[in-house]
Amino acid sequence: MKEEEVKIVGFLCNWCCYAGADLAGVSRFQYPPNMRIIRVMCSGRVDPVIILDTFLWGADGVFIGGCHPGDCHYLQGNYYAEKKIDMAKRLLKKAGVEPGRLRLEWVSASEGERFAGVMKEFTEEIKELGPIKFEKDEMEAACIAAADYSLRILATKEKELLEEGNKYGEVFTRHEMDRLLDDMVREEYEAKRILLKLKRPMSVKEIASELNLKPNVVFRHILDLKRYELIEAHEIRDNTPTYIAKVEEGVE
Amino acid sequence: MTEELRIGVFICHCGINIGGVVDVPAVVEYASTLENVVYAERNLYTCSSEGLEAIKSAIHEHELNRVVVASCTPRTHEPLFRATCKEAGLNPYLFEFVNIRDQCSWVHMHEPEFATEKAKDLVRMGVAKAARLEPLEELTSDVIPSAVVIGAGISGMTAALSIAKNGFYVHLIEKGSEMGGLLRRLYKLYPTEELAKEFLEQRIKAVEEHERVELHLSSSIKDVEGYVGKFKVILDENGVEKSIDVGDIIVATGAKELEPEGLYEYDGEKVITQLQLEEKLRREDLNRNGIENVVMIQCAGARGEVVKYCSKICCMNAIKNAKLIKEANPDINVFIAHNELQAYGEEYELYYRDAKKAGVRFLRFPLEKRPKVRKSDGKLVVDVFHERLLMDIPLEADLVVLSTPLVQNPDAEKLSKMLKVPLGQDRFFFEAHVKLRPVDFATDGIFLCGTAQGPKDIEESISQGYAAASRATIPLAKGYVSSEAIISSVDEAICVGCGICESVCPYGAVEVVETEEGRRAKVTGVKCKGCGTCGSSCIKRAIKMQHYTDDQLIAQERTAFVTEREVVS
Amino acid sequence: MEDKAVLVIGGGVAGMQAAFDLAEAGIRVCLVERTLSVGGRMAQLDKTFPTNDCAICILAPKMMDCYRHENIEVLTLSEVTAIEGEIGSFKVKILRKSRFVDEDKCNGCGDCARVCPMGILNKFDMDLRVRSGAYIPFMQAVPLIYALDRDKCMRCGLCEVICGKDAIRYNQKPEIVERNVSAIIVAIGFDPLDPSGLTEYGYGKYDDVITALEFERLICAAGPTGGHVIRRDGKEVKRIAWIQCVGARDTRDNRPYCCSVCCMHATKEAILTKEHNPEAETFILYTDLRCFGKGFQEYVNRAEDDYGVKYIRGKPGEIKGKENKILEIFYSPSSDKVEKLEVDMVVLSTALIPSEGVEALAEILGTELDEYKFFKLKDPYNPTGTTRAGIFVAGYCQAPRDIPECIAHGSAAASRAMEVVLGGSYDRRA
Ligand SMILES: Cc1cc2nc3c(=O)[nH]c(=O)nc-3n(C[C@H](O)[C@H](O)[C@H](O)COP(=O)(O)OP(=O)(O)OC[C@H]3O[C@@H](n4cnc5c(N)ncnc54)[C@H](O)[C@@H]3O)c2cc1C
Ligand SMILES: Cc1cc2nc3c(=O)[nH]c(=O)nc-3n(C[C@H](O)[C@H](O)[C@H](O)COP(=O)(O)OP(=O)(O)OC[C@H]3O[C@@H](n4cnc5c(N)ncnc54)[C@H](O)[C@@H]3O)c2cc1C
Ligand code: SF4
Ligand code: SF4
Ligand code: SF4
Ligand code: SF4
Repeated sequence: MKEEEVKIVGFLCNWCCYAGADLAGVSRFQYPPNMRIIRVMCSGRVDPVIILDTFLWGADGVFIGGCHPGDCHYLQGNYYAEKKIDMAKRLLKKAGVEPGRLRLEWVSASEGERFAGVMKEFTEEIKELGPIKFEKDEMEAACIAAADYSLRILATKEKELLEEGNKYGEVFTRHEMDRLLDDMVREEYEAKRILLKLKRPMSVKEIASELNLKPNVVFRHILDLKRYELIEAHEIRDNTPTYIAKVEEGVE
Repeated sequence: MTEELRIGVFICHCGINIGGVVDVPAVVEYASTLENVVYAERNLYTCSSEGLEAIKSAIHEHELNRVVVASCTPRTHEPLFRATCKEAGLNPYLFEFVNIRDQCSWVHMHEPEFATEKAKDLVRMGVAKAARLEPLEELTSDVIPSAVVIGAGISGMTAALSIAKNGFYVHLIEKGSEMGGLLRRLYKLYPTEELAKEFLEQRIKAVEEHERVELHLSSSIKDVEGYVGKFKVILDENGVEKSIDVGDIIVATGAKELEPEGLYEYDGEKVITQLQLEEKLRREDLNRNGIENVVMIQCAGARGEVVKYCSKICCMNAIKNAKLIKEANPDINVFIAHNELQAYGEEYELYYRDAKKAGVRFLRFPLEKRPKVRKSDGKLVVDVFHERLLMDIPLEADLVVLSTPLVQNPDAEKLSKMLKVPLGQDRFFFEAHVKLRPVDFATDGIFLCGTAQGPKDIEESISQGYAAASRATIPLAKGYVSSEAIISSVDEAICVGCGICESVCPYGAVEVVETEEGRRAKVTGVKCKGCGTCGSSCIKRAIKMQHYTDDQLIAQERTAFVTEREVVS
Repeated sequence: MEDKAVLVIGGGVAGMQAAFDLAEAGIRVCLVERTLSVGGRMAQLDKTFPTNDCAICILAPKMMDCYRHENIEVLTLSEVTAIEGEIGSFKVKILRKSRFVDEDKCNGCGDCARVCPMGILNKFDMDLRVRSGAYIPFMQAVPLIYALDRDKCMRCGLCEVICGKDAIRYNQKPEIVERNVSAIIVAIGFDPLDPSGLTEYGYGKYDDVITALEFERLICAAGPTGGHVIRRDGKEVKRIAWIQCVGARDTRDNRPYCCSVCCMHATKEAILTKEHNPEAETFILYTDLRCFGKGFQEYVNRAEDDYGVKYIRGKPGEIKGKENKILEIFYSPSSDKVEKLEVDMVVLSTALIPSEGVEALAEILGTELDEYKFFKLKDPYNPTGTTRAGIFVAGYCQAPRDIPECIAHGSAAASRAMEVVLGGSYDRRA
């Protein structure tokens, strides 16, 4: 592969998008050869952790293809996929990567030409963006945040919160939901950045300056991380305590 | 687990379809350099009998324990290659398919070099996945060879009788004290105009007399447990609790007529519903009351008034009753004020023409301007807005009949919760797929028929009754149900019992149960369809989606552009 | 073993459903389909009302399930020519016409189609697209085995040369096979009426007056125009009208019945047109709107409110072509008025009539047809029973019905056939 060629990984659901890609083939619709396809049974199977890991391992773009709303072979899988991908996009943004590098499309089994068209378009878009650039630390933090239960609950429960309300019967508006998602994603991402930093002992102030965060924000995260026994106090250096991660929490 | 991996790779030329674009020998050469690959070859057509023989002999000769074929699409050829592996004694799930035709040579025909590169990458990814494949087995579980049918209206009776005739034992459960459902309250039936009573008599007799139907009248369902093949239904029969074990369940609980409280001056005497009219006709007390003018109002409460839907049967029913009144006494004026007229299909269109011939008068109103009922000098007047004259036509009436829609029974909600099957927006039971699975629920082993699914006439209720019988007979006749091999499983050591997985599974296949360790999710293998949504939703990532495990997907994704060696290091 | 089998005639949704249910219950089925592929009319549709599910996407897996089922023998390009016997033991003769391709060898690569020099209108695409002399009717055809068009093939020999699997058989002979079955299910579906005879609509005279089934191909992404709604001259369609009940509910040719699905398929097609091009103006000219099924009224509401489809009550008297390919529709909204609507495409919702050859088949089967040539029921409340014991009927060929009703009807016929095959042989009390 030539230097300037961009790398794309696609996760396609068996019943619609994969079949659409087959039809593009049978009908000989040509499209750029940049994407490597992975077959899954349902777009709902695609875990945000896997998406982010794909970027971490060098993909310049990730494509998810599912059935049109209402066509899902498993009834609702594609609906959940949409929420998960939205979550992954928010995390990408946090890690400084253009969310446009991740694309979800509904392609039916009869849309061979459209599949080819989408491929051309997406490849162009990724070429436009160029090879992916990110700090490894930041992408890793995004990955671990996606594996964390709080964001996973939120991604799955979004529909319920929007339509049926929470335990108190409060129904969220789209705007409120967006704010909640942004806040939670920021919190989790910051916490995971701190956790990764603490592979070696550091003080609140050191972390704050390295991550460009306010010390009180860092301190709050430190308390939380301690409470969940993810980090522990290491030693007191010049009257300031330093902390270190307890177990090696790597990606995957 | 520590067995040495021995992967064989077979690359297909597909005549010139792949070979004409992709440099197949180069891909074979590349494949043989990959980690764990002990054998690689190419075939002119891997799917030909020579190709399949080649796979089998290579499995034996090279002691392959994983097979990768790179050729066309798994959507048509996977079953063939899996079967070949099986014939050679290899678990069929230790086979991995790579598509280098439909999604490579055919779509990059003018860029052979890139197509070859892509084919190599795809083969590398396939090999990485193959290295992580695990043998899988299809599970089977026994089926108790009998069924429960809930509701003894015409659809439930039909279903029960047909299952019995197919050779299986059926429990027919009816909450009322008699069979027949709504038809018991009708006078004559369209389109044959036979008496409902006579129609029912012979059918009830057939059900009663069949040795394999056990009738439970005055009975209600208390609880339902289990899954396809093994349901336990707890019944309250006349105050006595009973427990029945069956293989599957049919819901045939019917519907009821909407009570038009507060609409069109409804009072149950001068302004009545069609069902009340049927009762009057049955008692033949229409003539005695000196009625001269009858006005029927269609869509009363339907199509946007109380409910949104069209109730399918009320147009024909009004036409039937209007025609019967007219034929019994031609001096009575009968008007039907309607918007559309659902005289669909063959017979109904003709029946509608007959009613016109019999002298029934039809008046069309726009939906936005429905008729109004008012009293003038103690007489009832119905104002019908004439669509073409653009004015109200006042019709005097001695009797106003409201054609109200069928609506769901109020206790359906409870049943839907017990069976864990959904109701739709219209409150009727919601089938598995609006187009393709009209009498199935998404949950295996539970079916539906008749007006419980939505308004329909007798003929269609019977058709669905038979259809549900056919669907329900399948597991009973087979004697077992088998699950997909590709299903999810929960690691109980990691699961915290939060129930997220349960909330996303469309088939009720994963449920949180109490265990000794506390609340844990549990997958019922025969229910799972293998979508994997629970896996990607699990908050602790405790669920493993077989054959599409995190491990396997990550291996594929990571080797998309780098080699396995680079990934591992 | 063989006498415990069931014969299903016709591989549309109704026939496939019947075959599948029986096969799943462990009964052997012989499915006889006249064309090259199972799927029937539904395979020709783009989306389906009222959910707008993509037709072939949801149908193709079902076609595969049927074809692959160990208990189902699918005989395509085949027709029943004779039956003997009675319920419980019918002997059936089936004519298997030649494909001129070895079914066991062909892997569907399509090389033969690409070298074939012939160009022939494809019936599956309602003659809107050209195919080769070696062909499959559509990409998702099941089985995926090519065939040579005997009438059009000029025996040039090119396909024989190119076929790497040595599958071409120019001299393949038709054969007659026999099967013993206990019961028979007929599910031969419908044909759309050719509206050329109804001259007032100008079908055949004006390029852009087309039938609804042609429109389904036109708007299908895998169809001849890739899903673009264009006129014959290649211009985008801006104003389009559907005319309902063309040849149906019409006493002229003794077709007074309502086809039951056209109001809804016109609604669907109008919605799809709007989805492709929100600027397009869509009109549906109708007499009575038949929106009785589950979710239908809600679908019509959406068409009107969300998509701006215009419903006009009025039956057109005539269609006239003007300059620039504009079509004028004259219709009367009331008895004393005539109005005019100008559009650039007209779609005729033609009557749907029993399949060609239904009379010959009924004759062979010894079953009666009704006045309009639908299979007659012995008892109107026994909706799959024909006038002959052991022969059941499913789907549109009994009376107009939509897909879910055809499927339920197919299952219903299956249960009746199970009663014959299984009945008595089991008596397992729980
Ligand atoms: C006024 C009127 C006139 C009609 N006239 C005609 C006509 O002339 N021709 C025609 O074709 N159609 C006609 N219909 C439609 C016809 O009534 C229905 O098609 C038919 O009744 C549907 O049968 P079913 O078995 O699905 O439901 P139902 O007849 O409603 O029977 C359901 C049965 O289930 C029982 N049940 C309900 N819930 C439970 C529970 N939880 N547990 C146990 N048992 C339960 C009920 O007691 C009932 O016995 C008419 C409808 C109305 C309202
Ligand atoms: C334009 C249009 C749009 C439609 N849109 C919708 C929609 O959106 N939703 C919906 O629910 N319905 C829709 N319908 C209706 C739907 O197509 C039918 O309800 C359905 O396809 C009927 O299925 P069937 O199996 O009875 O018949 P068919 O699909 O006609 O299948 C019959 C099969 O039998 C075969 N056959 C015929 N004669 C013989 C013979 N002698 N021997 C052997 N085989 C034979 C045929 O080749 C065919 O494969 C639409 C119809 C039309 C015309
Ligand atoms: S069947 Fe007739 S009366 Fe009943 S809701 Fe539909 S249009 Fe109205
Ligand atoms: S989502 Fe995961 S943790 Fe929660 S109950 Fe299910 S398996 Fe257990
Ligand atoms: S894989 Fe899908 S069907 Fe199976 S348990 Fe999980 S969500 Fe349910
Ligand atoms: S006949 Fe031969 S060339 Fe034609 S599709 Fe079949 S295998 Fe390919």
